[in-house]
Amino acid sequence: MQTNVNTYESDSGWQVAGVKLKSRLFLGTAHYPSLQVLSDAATKSAIEVLTVGLRRLQPESGGGNHFWQKIQSLGCHLLPNTAGCHSAQEAITLAHMAREIFDTTWIKLEVIGDDYTLQPDLMATLEAATQLSKDGFAVFAYTTDDLVMAQRLHGVGCAAVMPWAAPIGTGRGPMNPYALETMRRRMPDAVLVVDAGLGRPSHAAQVMEFGFDAVLLNTAVAQAGDPVRMALAFAQAVSAGRGAFVSAPIPERSAAQASTPTVGMPFWHAQ
Amino acid sequence: MTPFALHVNGAACETTANSLQDLLLELGYTLNTAMACAINNHLVHRADWPQRALAQGDRVDVIAPITGG
Repeated sequence: MQTNVNTYESDSGWQVAGVKLKSRLFLGTAHYPSLQVLSDAATKSAIEVLTVGLRRLQPESGGGNHFWQKIQSLGCHLLPNTAGCHSAQEAITLAHMAREIFDTTWIKLEVIGDDYTLQPDLMATLEAATQLSKDGFAVFAYTTDDLVMAQRLHGVGCAAVMPWAAPIGTGRGPMNPYALETMRRRMPDAVLVVDAGLGRPSHAAQVMEFGFDAVLLNTAVAQAGDPVRMALAFAQAVSAGRGAFVSAPIPERSAAQASTPTVGMPFWHAQ
Repeated sequence: MTPFALHVNGAACETTANSLQDLLLELGYTLNTAMACAINNHLVHRADWPQRALAQGDRVDVIAPITGG
């Protein structure tokens, strides 16, 4: 197995959209048993980026202030998403509204093409990414493991390209490890974040060993039996995977290679 | 003033509000919360709410932060 660039760098952090980060784990904020559990998971895992959504507000709901205040108190960078959008125009409008509320240029771009798999509509995603990049947004583009589309998204100026490992919330882990590994190898200069479909810390470690810059997950932590412990486990796995990547793992071999020297074997070797 | 019809968050309603801000207050929104508005799929900046006029058939969307992945 080939190693990638910067094999011997120490992980002193990384950078995306002009921001230096230490943690390579992003967490979503949905489906937690409570806001307090979300807060504890975020704190325990020392994450620095949280994703949030946007939905229609009814006047009687009180404006979601409790959630907003709690999220702000965590001191994380917020990455609003365009989840639920089915067209480029919807996503573009929602992104502009997100910037108005959150005062950030960061946007996690999601344009859904299929309601069963929540697979992104790649053509609409590219259209929206192109426009939003022109509008000054730092686009974190959710996409599939399609290499060419990933290259196109990087080419129009996305701050990060975020391929799925598997459909959102399935916890299946990387469906196509070869595609993800190839994407990393073919796009050495892009910020690549695996987003969606991870279920276990070992999945996160696997993609980090490929050399991905970070992972984003939500359901795997929020709906775990113990979300706070699971958040820590994922943080540790992400760190371990990164450590493995920069430590130049041994290549896979077909034949066994003895660990103990064979010279000087006693008794049963022919003299 | 004659009431005119528009949609707010997908629901039909009638209003005599002169501006987007007046409409929001009429509907019971608290203005000093984290929210954003769009009319006909175009963002209306908060600073423009007081003077942004409304028209028959406008589609107004009012959104706020929620949990998300």
